[in-house]
Amino acid sequence: MLSRPTTEQILLDCCRELMTVVLPTLTDETAQVSVIMVETVLRNTAVRAAHEVAWMREETAEIEGYAQAVAGQAPGAESLGTALKALADAPRDSLHLDDVVETYCRAGNALSVALETAVAGRLTDLVRRGEEILDVRASHETEVMAGWSPTGR
Amino acid sequence: MADEPHLDAPCLQRFLDHVEGGRGGTVAAFRPISGGYSRLSALATVRWADGQEESFVLRSDPPPDTGVFVSDRDAEWRLLRAISGKLPVHTPTARWYDATGEYFGAKCLIVDFFQGRPLSDIAQSPDEVPRAARIFVDTLSEVHRTPLDVLPPELERAAGWESYIEGLVEYLGRLDSVVADSNPALHYAAAELQAHRPPPAPLGFVHGDAQPANILVPDEGPVLMIDWEFGRIGDPREDLGYYSHLPVPPNLFQADPHGFLARYRERTGLSEEQVNVDTVSYFYVLGMARLLGQMFEAADALAQGRSRGVMATYMMNGTSATTRAFVEVARRLAS
Repeated sequence: MLSRPTTEQILLDCCRELMTVVLPTLTDETAQVSVIMVETVLRNTAVRAAHEVAWMREETAEIEGYAQAVAGQAPGAESLGTALKALADAPRDSLHLDDVVETYCRAGNALSVALETAVAGRLTDLVRRGEEILDVRASHETEVMAGWSPTGR
Repeated sequence: MADEPHLDAPCLQRFLDHVEGGRGGTVAAFRPISGGYSRLSALATVRWADGQEESFVLRSDPPPDTGVFVSDRDAEWRLLRAISGKLPVHTPTARWYDATGEYFGAKCLIVDFFQGRPLSDIAQSPDEVPRAARIFVDTLSEVHRTPLDVLPPELERAAGWESYIEGLVEYLGRLDSVVADSNPALHYAAAELQAHRPPPAPLGFVHGDAQPANILVPDEGPVLMIDWEFGRIGDPREDLGYYSHLPVPPNLFQADPHGFLARYRERTGLSEEQVNVDTVSYFYVLGMARLLGQMFEAADALAQGRSRGVMATYMMNGTSATTRAFVEVARRLAS
């Protein structure tokens, strides 16, 4: 396959075309807003294309270790055990995006249950560690947002 | 109902010929109003046979399975009719309703046009921010002081504050249960909200989309509050919380949180224990839950192969920003 320009570069070039060629020709306000939104989504997508596989795999590894630690201190948490089993059975060796996403979704579910378990059990240190994992997730989402700010009202 | 909504002059003309055939109305002007996230809106002027002119605002549902934020026109129409003239704050005068979409291709309600500037426009001038904040707080306080017995009986009423909040927190924790992607930030926030309840406050009438853009200020006389589609009986602090983080500058709460809340307490009689920056943050999370759920569902629809338009993917940014703020609130509660 052709690998250069990268997907990120291609999408950003589409953004440039939209903003410098298409948008100035539009007079309809609704169409203008649509183009601005599409351009934003393309910039979001460019960041995702550049990093999402690496980010999801890194986060998944961290989440699994965390959820196992919570399960170790809350052995009665059946739902956490179930979530961890589902994660273990995920197609985690594949780098195809659908498989990485499926694995990451299962990790996300395990993290949700682990956080609920840690807060309910007042496992303070594990709550703090869970917050750090959420911070990493949030920092990736912030990068994806690519400077987004709300338009409209 | 037609396949596509047609919010235009010919449809309004046919509708008027049906509902006010004897008055001989002619649509003299019609223009769409852009800028909202959810409904299709338009402003129309009608000239009646006796020479009188009236202006109206039309609010219609967008085409099905498009957009992100959904609300129930039937409920909005019933509420508008029921509260008209009964609230301490003025509300739009409901005129007609195409309840089946026969004329506009989608349910469409029509209210009297009100000549006034959106408070959000007034607040754009830095000198006017304090006055705008006073108007906003006073209007919201009036809504919240509405006696519950004037509200329509079909509005859902919780048995009490505890059960109401319990239901909201549970709802928050279930927001992602119908979508494919679990959101850990949401579950963390729900768990912390469950563990750290604020002091109770009397349930009251909540606007549900309280923001300066929904308050129209005339040159003289009382203001009018619009967009009641999310009106309900709830904890009034939901409105405060919802607005407190609204990322539309200038945010009149963020400009002076302590002054804003002091005035609100003075107007409503609620205590500082009940209304402070921390309790407002708590209710920010609960006040935003419904909209966040709709953002989840719109993105999930695309993941299932059903496009809901660019707004759905655009608002994924809003999901990220909102859940990040939820985590900040939860962390403060925990500390």
